[in-house]
Amino acid sequence: MTGTPAPGTIIETRGLDLWYGPCQALKEITILIPANRVTALIGPSGCGKSTLLRCFNRMNDLVPDCRVAGLALYHGADINAPGYDVVELRKRVGMVFQKPNPFPKSIYENVAYGPRIHGERDRATLDAVVERSLRSAALWDEVEDRLQEPALGLSGGQQQRLCIARTLAVEPDVILMDEPCSALDPIATAKIENLIDDLKKRYTVIIVTHNMQQAARVSEFTGFMYLGELVEYGETLQVFERPAERLTENYITGRFG
Amino acid sequence: MHPTSTARLPAPARAGRSHLEEHAIRALWLACALVAVLAVGFILAFLVVYGLPAFAEIGVLEVLLGDSWSPTATPPAFGILPLAVGTLLVTLGAMLFAVPLSVATAIYLGELAPPRVRNLVRPAIELLAGIPSVVFGFFGLIVLVEWLRVSFAVPSGESVLAGSLLLGVMTLPTIISVSEDAISSVPREFREGSLALGATRWQTIRRVVVPSALPGVTAAIILGMGRAIGETMAVMMVTGNAAVIPSPITDVLSPVRTLTGTLGIEMGEVAIGSLHYHALFAVATVLLVITLAVNLGASAILRRLNASATGRGSPSRLAAVLGRPRAGMAVPVLAAVLAAAVAHSVGGLLPALAVFAAGLLLLAAVPRLSRNQAEKAAFLLLYLAVAAVVAILAIILLDIVSKGLPALSWEFLTGSPRDLGRAGGIFPAIVGTLCLVAGAIALALPLGVGAAIHLAEYRRENRLTRLIRSGVDLLNGTPSIVFGLFGFTFFVLYLEFGVSMLAGQVTLGLMVLPTIIRTTEEALRQVPQGLREGSLALGATQWQTVRRVVLPPAAPGILTGTILSVGRAAGETAPILFTAAVFSQRHLPSSLLDPVMALPYHLFVLATNVPGAQQNTYGTALVLILLVGAVYAVTIAVRARYRAAGGAPG
Repeated sequence: MTGTPAPGTIIETRGLDLWYGPCQALKEITILIPANRVTALIGPSGCGKSTLLRCFNRMNDLVPDCRVAGLALYHGADINAPGYDVVELRKRVGMVFQKPNPFPKSIYENVAYGPRIHGERDRATLDAVVERSLRSAALWDEVEDRLQEPALGLSGGQQQRLCIARTLAVEPDVILMDEPCSALDPIATAKIENLIDDLKKRYTVIIVTHNMQQAARVSEFTGFMYLGELVEYGETLQVFERPAERLTENYITGRFG
Repeated sequence: MHPTSTARLPAPARAGRSHLEEHAIRALWLACALVAVLAVGFILAFLVVYGLPAFAEIGVLEVLLGDSWSPTATPPAFGILPLAVGTLLVTLGAMLFAVPLSVATAIYLGELAPPRVRNLVRPAIELLAGIPSVVFGFFGLIVLVEWLRVSFAVPSGESVLAGSLLLGVMTLPTIISVSEDAISSVPREFREGSLALGATRWQTIRRVVVPSALPGVTAAIILGMGRAIGETMAVMMVTGNAAVIPSPITDVLSPVRTLTGTLGIEMGEVAIGSLHYHALFAVATVLLVITLAVNLGASAILRRLNASATGRGSPSRLAAVLGRPRAGMAVPVLAAVLAAAVAHSVGGLLPALAVFAAGLLLLAAVPRLSRNQAEKAAFLLLYLAVAAVVAILAIILLDIVSKGLPALSWEFLTGSPRDLGRAGGIFPAIVGTLCLVAGAIALALPLGVGAAIHLAEYRRENRLTRLIRSGVDLLNGTPSIVFGLFGFTFFVLYLEFGVSMLAGQVTLGLMVLPTIIRTTEEALRQVPQGLREGSLALGATQWQTVRRVVLPPAAPGILTGTILSVGRAAGETAPILFTAAVFSQRHLPSSLLDPVMALPYHLFVLATNVPGAQQNTYGTALVLILLVGAVYAVTIAVRARYRAAGGAPG
């Protein structure tokens, strides 16, 4: 909006509505997500930020009774159009969940899972992908000598970085993060935040967070949501220091009522 | 809402081949599920269509309310009422006996038992659920009936009482297992909340735990009732099978005949196509309607329970439970009156008065107890109930094992029967049972797992899914004798398989299909949704996700269901009674269209029709128990190992 060079848009919604059964969870959301930047979505519980995130890779398909109207575009193509390949979309738009959800397999197999299902069989290539992904997720040094051990033996923070590595192994161009640190302690959180900082060089990151300091620390753009509406959206600095909306200001300063 | 959009990368293209594959696989699972539903619809339609001529010719009311069933008299009478009353009496008696014992045992296991005892008793009870009904029938005939005859000094012990006691024992494991599940899944916060308010353990159990678990316990009782109503072999062997309504109705020493018993006895001898033949289908229809109503009731309760357990309303649920008005004195007074009536018809006026007085005394004493005394008294009663359950089960097992062991020998296991089974061995029966089971599983396993994958993984809750699920419920609640009837008429007669191994395999396969579908679906649902999302979010297709992420952790559960089905198929008699089994055969079957010997059927005939074969009968019972017991033991071991592996990291 201000001086920053306008980045290209990778994901965009226009007038997106979403209902869970009779309840409308998203109202007329219009948002442009810039490529290769970190965008944070903040707001109180139940405001729809996770729901919006899950629209970007159509994870809401799994929720019974969920209905979407309006446009959601990825690289300009309507992802809700009939015939759109949702599997390919999810390959391109990866996701890290709130609770670490490693598969009950070895560390190696967790990371190799994605490349394998996408047809990679060459052992040397897989080894390389696993190492590269684990390095990118800043986990390699901690697990390099126990790759064959079960992933469930890792600590919570390590499990979450493993899930990030697993996502990176598929080489997406967008990574959706749904409160990735809410189940972690402050040290593990700091590691993930540093990681996000590295990731933005190569990926577009969209992160949902409860934690406003975290949004301020890691993101370049911030959207504030309230009761299913996108109240304010802009550069993080501006949203936090000179919010245009009264509602945003109240939320950010903790005067919420 | 945000600046400029510029350079656009190409959008994802559709991947042709894998799409086609996905669709084909999805269609395959749907087809499996539809076959299950069609089978149910077909069985139902078949019974009704074959029963219609009876209703049409005799009249609906005459069939349902006629008070005489004598198909061979002139003119024949086809009134189902005495049979329905017989079923009702035996079932009611079984529940009066089984419900207090099993609920008490479930409370003990869920709340009081030390972990070591629990881990020992729980699998033992599950093992008992696997004992084939024909074994119970045999025990009932030899031991229970004889004991009743001597203790009450009556000409024959075959009676309502014998049927009730035996059926009660048979339903114990079902009611105990399901109730204990319900009790154990009461959230710990409820207990802690109550104890923190200064309630005793017994108060907590009585006012918080049991009321919270009540829907589950109710469902357990209804499931047990369903089993009792549908049970054929055991009932047929101990109730005397006289199609009369006891007079007075509380005369528990009168013989009766149940709906299932009628089918078991008469189907083998009826002239095909006669009015009697169609009347038997009418009986089967009535039986089916009753059991389906009972079972659907139970699954509706369980489903509502599951729905409320996953909801977030725990605190309000606790409040609702605590605020519920109590039934008051009505139930105990009613019980005392009933007990007195039974005592009157069995022993006369004096015992009746004594029973009634004892009941009143007890009612008067209870409110005067202090909290601690009440807890002690209650726990004492619980312990007594548990002791009774354990003793009953131990007596049955000890009797069969001790008298069966001498019969076991190499010759018995590998030889053919001689002298009507009084001498020689049971090798052909063992082989026959194994063949029947293998065929049934080969049919039911792929179909069942496919249907379950459709239900659990490709779900869009819609009318079709609900239809499939009700179909599975219906099939699950169908009494085994009804499968036998259907198999006989459709496979044996209509498709001209003859009495053959194939007809038996298909019939048994249909019977275990719902077990496999349900356990598989349950196992698939246990896999956390997070794993699916994790895989899908990496761009895996649905089938890749199911095959690589969902099925591996669900495999032990699917295996458990399969092994349970093996046990059930091996022990069932009613479905093969008219479809596959013969009593004696010199040679092993050489083709699928040959009839076979089978262990449960062999046991049935030896026990009921061959005098002087007691040792070999006990031997056959023991072999059958060992076979089924081994199958169940494997199941329990698999599950225990899976649980242990799931608990620790890795």
